[in-house]
Amino acid sequence: MFKSRVKKDQSFTDEELVSLLQKDMDTERFAVLYDRYSTRVYQKCVGMTRDRDLAKDLTHDIFLKVFINLSKFDHRSKFGTWVYSITYNYCLDTLRKNQRHREEDIDERTQEGTPMDGSSEAALLGLRAERLDHVLTELDPTDRAVLLMKYEDELPITDMMAALGIGESAVKMRLLRARERAIAKYRELYPDES
Amino acid sequence: MSDNPFKIIRPTDQPPESLKKDVMGSVKFVMLLMRFVQLFVADFSISAFDKVRLIDPDTGTRKKKN
Repeated sequence: MFKSRVKKDQSFTDEELVSLLQKDMDTERFAVLYDRYSTRVYQKCVGMTRDRDLAKDLTHDIFLKVFINLSKFDHRSKFGTWVYSITYNYCLDTLRKNQRHREEDIDERTQEGTPMDGSSEAALLGLRAERLDHVLTELDPTDRAVLLMKYEDELPITDMMAALGIGESAVKMRLLRARERAIAKYRELYPDES
Repeated sequence: MSDNPFKIIRPTDQPPESLKKDVMGSVKFVMLLMRFVQLFVADFSISAFDKVRLIDPDTGTRKKKN
C-alpha cells in the first residue's frame, strides 16, 4: 500500500505535489521532490562554490529551506524556478559571508535601455573550457552566478529577474559587467592569449 | 551551442548517498517541531481564553456563558 502511494506520488507534477504538501506536510511526499531536484541543486552548488563538501552542506540547508517555506510558494512561477532561486541566493549569501567580499556597487539608475553586448558574449564563449573553469573560480561569486545562470543553465532573462530579485535592465547590466570582468580576468591569468 | 565552454565544464557529480538520509532526517525533525509548536500555540490560546471572564457592563457581574 505504501509503495503504491509512493508510485502515485511520483506520477504527480511538481506543482501538484507542492499543493498536496501545502495541505498536509508529508516527508515521503517531500522525498519525491528531493529525488527530482537533488542532483541539479547539488551540481549547482558545486558550480557556484567549487567545493564539494560545502556544496553538500548547502544542498542540505537548501532542501530544509524549501521544506520550511513550501507554504509561501504561490504557484506563480514553476516550482523548479523557485527552487533554483533559493539555491542561487543561498549559495551567494554563503559565499559572500565566507569571503567577506563586497561586490562592487552597480548603479542601477543608469541601466535603462542597456543593450546586450554581442562582442563580449562572443569573446566569452570563445574561451578555452579548462581555462574558463579557472577564471570562474577566481571571479566574484555574483559574477560567477549570473554567468552560470545565463550560459550554463540558459535561464531566460525573466527567470533571472525572479531569481535575483532585480529588473530586466539590471540583469542585462550585471551580465555585461560579469562578461567584461571574466574576460579581463582571463587576460590577466593567461596573458599569452591576449 | 554544442561548443559552449560553460557546458563542457558543467559539474556532473552526483550528490552523496548519505545526503538524502541527512536531509530527510532534518525535515522530519523540523516537521515534528512545527507540529509541537502548533499544538502548544493552540493549547495556549484555548487555555488563555478559558481564563477570560466576561463582565456585564450594566450590572458589573460576571456574564453567564452561553
